[in-house]
Amino acid sequence: MTEVLSAVLVLVGLATITLGVLGVHRFPDVYTQLHASGKAAFLGVAALLVAATLGGDGMIIARVVLILVLLGLTTPVAAHAIGQAALFRGEGMRTPAAVDESTEP
Amino acid sequence: MTGDVVFYVALVWMALLLGACVVLVARGRTVTERIVALDLLVLVLVGLLALVAGEDQRPYALDAALALALLSFIATLTSSRYAADRRPFEQPDEEPSA
Repeated sequence: MTEVLSAVLVLVGLATITLGVLGVHRFPDVYTQLHASGKAAFLGVAALLVAATLGGDGMIIARVVLILVLLGLTTPVAAHAIGQAALFRGEGMRTPAAVDESTEP
Repeated sequence: MTGDVVFYVALVWMALLLGACVVLVARGRTVTERIVALDLLVLVLVGLLALVAGEDQRPYALDAALALALLSFIATLTSSRYAADRRPFEQPDEEPSA
């Protein structure tokens, strides 16, 4: 039962990380790529980390909780810093029908 | 049995994703796209270490993942601040330079 649950979690995590990498590869500008790397890839890694805890080892559970809290705090901050850098470098939005509110009066 | 098959498939697949992230870093059009790709590369590496730690029940693989996650955050923050206006330890000004 635990083995099946672990396999399912690993497969879900793999699919989600693959979607994240594919999104960074396919999206046309940084602002949309940040959606893929900041949400899809992070959630996939979270699924892999939760799958690692199913053995019931306390050392692993403690480390996984620590890594999850740290990643959950740092990933949005890093994504915000990258988006801010792209804005300050004046990189335009190449996504069709994108609305750039920073250039509007 | 099925768990072993899933583990090895996942290991090979994550290695391929790491290669894809290296290609993304190399082919980024702008500096910020390269920073996003590097951030993603370290995230995939943390996932790979979690996979190994879960299969073999080795907690020390997660120590490396923890250190990588912390270092990657500092590196991403500093390099994006530097890319914004060459002052890595301060917030960028209110007005965009371009």
